[in-house]
Amino acid sequence: MSIHIPILIIILPLLAAFLVLLTRKYKIVLAAVSIITSIVFTLTLSSRVLSNDKITYHLGGWRGPLGVSLVIDGLGFFFSLIALGLGLLVIIYSIPEKRYSRTYYFLLLVSLSSMIGVIYTADIFNMYVFYELLSLAVYLLIAYPKTGVTLRASFSYLIMGGVGLSFFLLGVGFLYAMTGTLDIFHIAERLPAAFNSSMQMVIMSFVLIATGMGIKIAVFPLHGWLPDAHSMAPSPVSALLSGVTVKIGIYCLIRVVYTAFSAEMFFLINSHNILMVLGVVSLLFGASMALAQKDLKRLLAYSTINQLGVVLIGLGIGTEMGLTGALFHVLNHAIMKSTLFFCAGIMITETGTREVKGLSGFGRQQPAITFAFIVASLGMIGIPPVNGFASKWLICLAAVEAGYTILVVIILVASAISAAYYFRVIQVLFSNPPEQNHIPAHEEGQVIHKGNLFRVLPIYILAAGCLLLGIVPALGISLAKPAVSLLLSYVVP
Amino acid sequence: MGSSKIIRTIAQKLFPFIMLFGFYLISNGHLSPGGGFQGGVVLGTAIILLALSHGIEQTEKIFKSRWLNMLEKLGILTLIFLGFLGIFFGYSFLGNFLPLGRPGQITSGGLMLPFNIAIGIKVAAGVSAIFYALIKYRGEI
Amino acid sequence: MNPVNISLLVFMIGLYGVMSKNNLIKKIMGLTIMNGSIVLFFISIGYRKGGLAPILEKGTTGGIPTTIFVDPLPQALMLTAIVIGISVTALALALIVKIYSKYKTLDIQQLSKER
Repeated sequence: MSIHIPILIIILPLLAAFLVLLTRKYKIVLAAVSIITSIVFTLTLSSRVLSNDKITYHLGGWRGPLGVSLVIDGLGFFFSLIALGLGLLVIIYSIPEKRYSRTYYFLLLVSLSSMIGVIYTADIFNMYVFYELLSLAVYLLIAYPKTGVTLRASFSYLIMGGVGLSFFLLGVGFLYAMTGTLDIFHIAERLPAAFNSSMQMVIMSFVLIATGMGIKIAVFPLHGWLPDAHSMAPSPVSALLSGVTVKIGIYCLIRVVYTAFSAEMFFLINSHNILMVLGVVSLLFGASMALAQKDLKRLLAYSTINQLGVVLIGLGIGTEMGLTGALFHVLNHAIMKSTLFFCAGIMITETGTREVKGLSGFGRQQPAITFAFIVASLGMIGIPPVNGFASKWLICLAAVEAGYTILVVIILVASAISAAYYFRVIQVLFSNPPEQNHIPAHEEGQVIHKGNLFRVLPIYILAAGCLLLGIVPALGISLAKPAVSLLLSYVVP
Repeated sequence: MGSSKIIRTIAQKLFPFIMLFGFYLISNGHLSPGGGFQGGVVLGTAIILLALSHGIEQTEKIFKSRWLNMLEKLGILTLIFLGFLGIFFGYSFLGNFLPLGRPGQITSGGLMLPFNIAIGIKVAAGVSAIFYALIKYRGEI
Repeated sequence: MNPVNISLLVFMIGLYGVMSKNNLIKKIMGLTIMNGSIVLFFISIGYRKGGLAPILEKGTTGGIPTTIFVDPLPQALMLTAIVIGISVTALALALIVKIYSKYKTLDIQQLSKER
């Protein structure tokens, strides 16, 4: 049984998704149980993965380039743990909302299952299929409230996402034309020969895949869909989108760049510099746009662009410390941003407005939630006892080590800007409530009063995680270690 | 409600043949062009033909939309269950546990045939359920 | 002009449609054109001049060199890609129906003015 764990992790949420459609009463139980089982299965692999072992599973018994195989290594383990853990919390957070029917849980489970599929599969076309499945589920989740703005946000995401995945598929086509295989590890073996004979084709496919994933990650010039989609979606879905779905794009980029194309080629065509420049631009752009936002969730969405810029800078530096910082920041950002979105969901339902100004007085009503919000936003800024500091510090150290001192200045400037906009929110939270006159919330519905355990439990867990990872950053770094050593093994064969 | 008598009669007479062709495509999919998806679509079009010629109310008496929705989910659940059977019999997920016959025989595909049947059921139910939803849609355009 | 170049040209046409058209349905058309061009691209990769359909006839088991067949893998992949493309298109059109019933317009310029 234990050798079948990789497929079970993917298939159990999918099975539960279709069972959820057949039942009415047990939808939440089914969803939660399947995700918990998947997490337990993933954790049973931890000892093997953390000792740099690679677990391979051949679907249907077909090996090698013929069949589709699933591979769990340090990188996949790291990302799948983030996805599953956050997915469970999102399901818990959605429990009190009675409007979420079984279709909602179906879509949530399908998206989680296909995320794990994207992460584990070694077949690059299969990766595309899972990614498209994930995107379809996510478009529907964004449009779930069926109000005008959510439909528009979902549509603009659909257009951009469709274009991005078309680019990705075209890049996969070039790869197949050159190497005649779709298995990433076989592509990696055969690509150096292709690189010598037809360099343009390799670069073309690299550019296509990187552009496609760039749209999904929302780096600066391709970010157009993100603020709408992330801010208009229901709050648990926003947390899932900002916390995990964007990270799947980063995972695909890392996987394709480091495993399929060798890291050697990555540095040869200077694409790490491009990645760094894009990171800097989206860092500054996201920070300055967030400063101008009046809508709380929109502010958080622009902050996502800002933080992803930090991750891209870390990836672009490409040294051991830079990669560790980037991956650690992925984990930290997932935790912090979902805390913020969960808190924002409670704030919006309680105060009845999405505007930052309308939040005044909330801090005195619900100090615990506000404390969690403050902890997570301190992490976003990068202030010491919280986890965001540790990863930003690592990236800054890596930048100094690699001789890019200017990057440190830029990261510090962006942190100062993010301090400006987060402190503005915190200040409003503790001010006295003025007369009521705000733009209406799009997330109307039953008001969930404070003290609902399912609402506050995920927030407390995540805020505790923020503090824990901030005080003991070695925990997160040790989780990212196998992934980093895997990536570095591709750099120096 | 419905079309002229000629259309209704021809649709009625054509219906079993279209169904038969769909079943042929499903069951012979691993030996010749065709397969679960294609056969399922043909089966779905047979139901759509009935719905177009005899009206949706008449058709729904035979092919109830609740059953179609149920069948669609059962199709995918059967598929996953067949995958699990591979594990159960000691192979990997989706592994083939059925005996392989001589190439060209109907049994030579092993697990392909049950797979195609499950996919065919799912697709047929899905196509006709989508068509029902479209034909019943009375919302504002 | 070989089919690979043509498919890339069609891809660019589709991209142009997605980027520059204001009508939502025309954007979806552009997306569909991009999808179609990718199908053409994959099929032209697998094509071999004078190649046969990769099916073993009854009685011809073994002994046939595989070089006379066209590559079946891209064709199988494209069946999947076509199905995915259709589901994306269907979802997009369903969204468009809902958007139109809410705003009574399909023009993206006017939609962005609405609150």
